[in-house]
Amino acid sequence: MKVVTGVVGNDIHVVANRLIDLSLQARGYEVFNLGVNTHLEEFFDAAVETGADALVISSLNGEAEGWGREVRLLKANYKTLDDLVMMIGGNLVVGSGNTEDIVARYKNYGFDLVCHQVDLNTGLDSLAAFLEERSQS
Amino acid sequence: MTDYAMTDGNNKLLIDVGSTYFKISTLDAIEQHFRDFNKGILDDLMAKCGETISRFGKQDIHVCSSANGGLSTLIIGVTNSFSLKYATSIAFNSGINIIDTILYQNIEDYSLPSDLIDVVIIVGGADTHSDLFSDSLYSYLKQLDYSNIVYVGTARDAPRIRENIKDVVVLPNIIDDRLHIVEEHLKAYLTNLYQQDIEGKEDIKHLYDITDNQIFPTPYIVNKALPMIDAKFSVTDPFILLDIGGATTDIHYSKDLVEDNIVTENEYDRLVFKRLGVYKSKQSLIFAAQSNEFVYELLTHLKVTENIFNEQNDKATKVLMQLAIFLVLCKMSHHGKSFINLKLLAINSIVLTGGITKVLTVEEIEIIIAFFYKKILTSDHNPVTVLDSNYDIWTLGAGGNQ
Repeated sequence: MKVVTGVVGNDIHVVANRLIDLSLQARGYEVFNLGVNTHLEEFFDAAVETGADALVISSLNGEAEGWGREVRLLKANYKTLDDLVMMIGGNLVVGSGNTEDIVARYKNYGFDLVCHQVDLNTGLDSLAAFLEERSQS
Repeated sequence: MTDYAMTDGNNKLLIDVGSTYFKISTLDAIEQHFRDFNKGILDDLMAKCGETISRFGKQDIHVCSSANGGLSTLIIGVTNSFSLKYATSIAFNSGINIIDTILYQNIEDYSLPSDLIDVVIIVGGADTHSDLFSDSLYSYLKQLDYSNIVYVGTARDAPRIRENIKDVVVLPNIIDDRLHIVEEHLKAYLTNLYQQDIEGKEDIKHLYDITDNQIFPTPYIVNKALPMIDAKFSVTDPFILLDIGGATTDIHYSKDLVEDNIVTENEYDRLVFKRLGVYKSKQSLIFAAQSNEFVYELLTHLKVTENIFNEQNDKATKVLMQLAIFLVLCKMSHHGKSFINLKLLAINSIVLTGGITKVLTVEEIEIIIAFFYKKILTSDHNPVTVLDSNYDIWTLGAGGNQ
């Protein structure tokens, strides 16, 4: 399974990005890490170049909220990404908010999996379960 | 010709043939001559510099040129951020001026270029990916008129590409397993094609009568000089170098000035504006100027009117060159929409080379730079202007290339 990961927007939280990279590798994924400060279009383009199964986007400074709104619109421009699993995790809002509302909002943006302030391993377990479920359906 | 040939390895004759001027450099002096377009390039060169050239053996003469107009290139890639961007960057750094791109997923929406394409580059995919290209590519190529075609995409698709595209050259992927750029193979291929192009062009190929060495594109030579620029100038990184020529304008820039995803060992990259020059491309420069909303204010600032565009005198040439500097800076800023935007507020030095250094003074250039920063970036930023008025950068690159 191939995964493209990176930190979206003007966010330089490199330690979290590295931990996600290492954790994904430890779980056997082939990881393409775009690093910090990554624009949304670069995520989708990397998925095209690699044939990725999943996009794991992280955000720590809450900026994902702004970028997330463009996901559906931007993804619609690509002809080969219909099966791409979209996951986002980290701290997904500026300030605080109700987790249920936040998850619903991001799913509405076009994400399949939303992990707001969820432990990394728990988040990656949910990714594995989602991919497994999808492969059987 | 070789009766007086010098054999000292350090004593080389360097020749640059541009679209408007040619210049020759020896250890002692540099000569510059306006080209006589009624004569062939070699005849003109020998008429003006024959005595100097005759003092050197063919092995000691090094020529670079941009006078063949460069190669026209069509790049077909699968994404804007990686394959198209990487191939475009390599092509620019190889000295290629004319580049069109096609995003493969929409290939059926593109019209066919009417002119012959010198080289088509097909690129896409990391090596672990496959099946990126299908019949739509092959159908498009069948209708296209091209001389050369090269594939630099995923290795897994190479056999199928070979099966379906006649005479395709397959080179290693320019995208590595970390999605980083790999430049050397495509760059070498394109610079060799440039040489073959020169050999095939009736006028310029005769330059091989005076040299045994490969003729390189001039911008390729300039780009090679930049890491050594400290040897000649007091330049503080990050800097940009502008080479405003007769037909095109080249910009070479420190990689520190770019926020992008290209991870490369190059310290400097190149970008070209192909119809922005003060001689052959004068009309398109004027058209670009008239389309720029700030240019009339700039003309007023320079105390001239737009009638200057119709004049043919030294003052008009000066103003055109000043406009070219302004337009290039605009195109490189977020105000323009070029291949890349530079962090212009981070520039410490702006170096100018080429014919412009013979026409404009530092003060005349600084007026434009200050106007640009004030008007477009609303800043008092003031990078240092450096004039390469003795073609030292070209000499450095041409000498270093041996």
